[in-house]
Amino acid sequence: MAANKNLQYTLRYFDRIGVAEGSKLLLSAANVEWTEEHPEWPLEKPNQPFGRMPVLIEKHSNDKDFVICESGNIERYLARAYGFIPSDIRQAALQEQLRDQASDMFAAFISQLVAKSEEDRKENFAKFDGLLDKLVEVQTKQINANGNIGHMFGDRLSYADIVTYAFYKIIVVGMVKRQANIVNIVKPKLTPQLIKLITTVEANPLLASYTARGDSLAAIVTKPTSARL
Amino acid sequence: MLSGSDTVYVLRYFDLIGRAEGCRLLLTAANASWTEEHPEWPAEKANQPFERLPVLVERSNGDEWILCESLTIERYLARVFGFMPTDLKQAALQEQMVDQQADLIPAFMAQLMATDDMKSKQIDEFNTLLDRIVKEHGRILSRNSSKQHLFGDQLSYADISLYAFYKVYIVYLKIYQSNIDEIVKPKLTPEIINLILSIEKEPLLAPHLSKCDSMAAVLSSKAF
Repeated sequence: MAANKNLQYTLRYFDRIGVAEGSKLLLSAANVEWTEEHPEWPLEKPNQPFGRMPVLIEKHSNDKDFVICESGNIERYLARAYGFIPSDIRQAALQEQLRDQASDMFAAFISQLVAKSEEDRKENFAKFDGLLDKLVEVQTKQINANGNIGHMFGDRLSYADIVTYAFYKIIVVGMVKRQANIVNIVKPKLTPQLIKLITTVEANPLLASYTARGDSLAAIVTKPTSARL
Repeated sequence: MLSGSDTVYVLRYFDLIGRAEGCRLLLTAANASWTEEHPEWPAEKANQPFERLPVLVERSNGDEWILCESLTIERYLARVFGFMPTDLKQAALQEQMVDQQADLIPAFMAQLMATDDMKSKQIDEFNTLLDRIVKEHGRILSRNSSKQHLFGDQLSYADISLYAFYKVYIVYLKIYQSNIDEIVKPKLTPEIINLILSIEKEPLLAPHLSKCDSMAAVLSSKAF
């Protein structure tokens, strides 16, 4: 899609791989002019529309700024505006469903990360582990239903591909500082279908500017696990 | 309306207000043919696509199509039945409000389950978020010429979602925390109370709301 020179985007978030990752992928794939801002926190909290991030600002050269929040909402807006969510309502819902399921799994991950007592941590980890298994199952089933060609639906980069990639990136790359063993928990569960989707997304020319930033997820998931002695 | 007249819906959920009230209200407002199923739980967990509820089953022309995740179901129904604006920016503003409301659930649970040392901090966070949501409802309403609706002058997804939100926090969550209504109600302005009661009186919602307790009684001390 040709870039609209009258539109510029600013995405405000922390300088980390977190819930804004899907938005970053979409802005890159949309081939629009965009910049990232990392407001000082919590100093800049009162200056955000709702005291939270991410925030998306769409600047028009001859109109008011359009400002929205809530990571899923930002993603869906960009994905619809730039053609990554289908116009067919049912097809769109199936793609949105994948994002919400991945969010549920991420919430379960955070629950086990922040659990205080050992008992809570074990219980929450079991829930996260079980939900992750289920997520991998539904994602793999969808990839197979689409012919295992590295896409969830159709044969082009879609919202569903991007959010699936984004969630594994958040867990496996973004969260590793907070939970070092997460790679060894998640990686063995990834099916060949998911690994193929991850490498296909990362190799997509539309995402060249995103991939150039580094932190390759594909490199991590395709690296052979070193043998334990 | 994009749904055929021979399309029937089944909403699977627990027999609770919970996370399904928005879906129920949308199906009702749409005048869709729909029924509710309350699967035995956890016996039926493994039979759901993602082992969770709600699940929407759409049956038409002998075909069955299934969707899960409460907010995805809501946005789908809102789009199919014309309660979501077709303009992307207008839709994003309604979805933003709904997503903000949804953020309050983890904050509610966190303050409910907090250990003594964290209780006061979690309660503060819950109150801050709740205040922000109520303020946002007021802001949206103040910018709309009709005071019976958040956007425009007809029942929209945002209206339905706002009603379900206050029903959850004033009626439903009392089963978890008996004083939740005493925390939420004082924060409501007369304008918001009037909005809630206006939505409750929408004829499109009558088939469902006539089976439920009216919020008018619990809000009546401030209504005019």
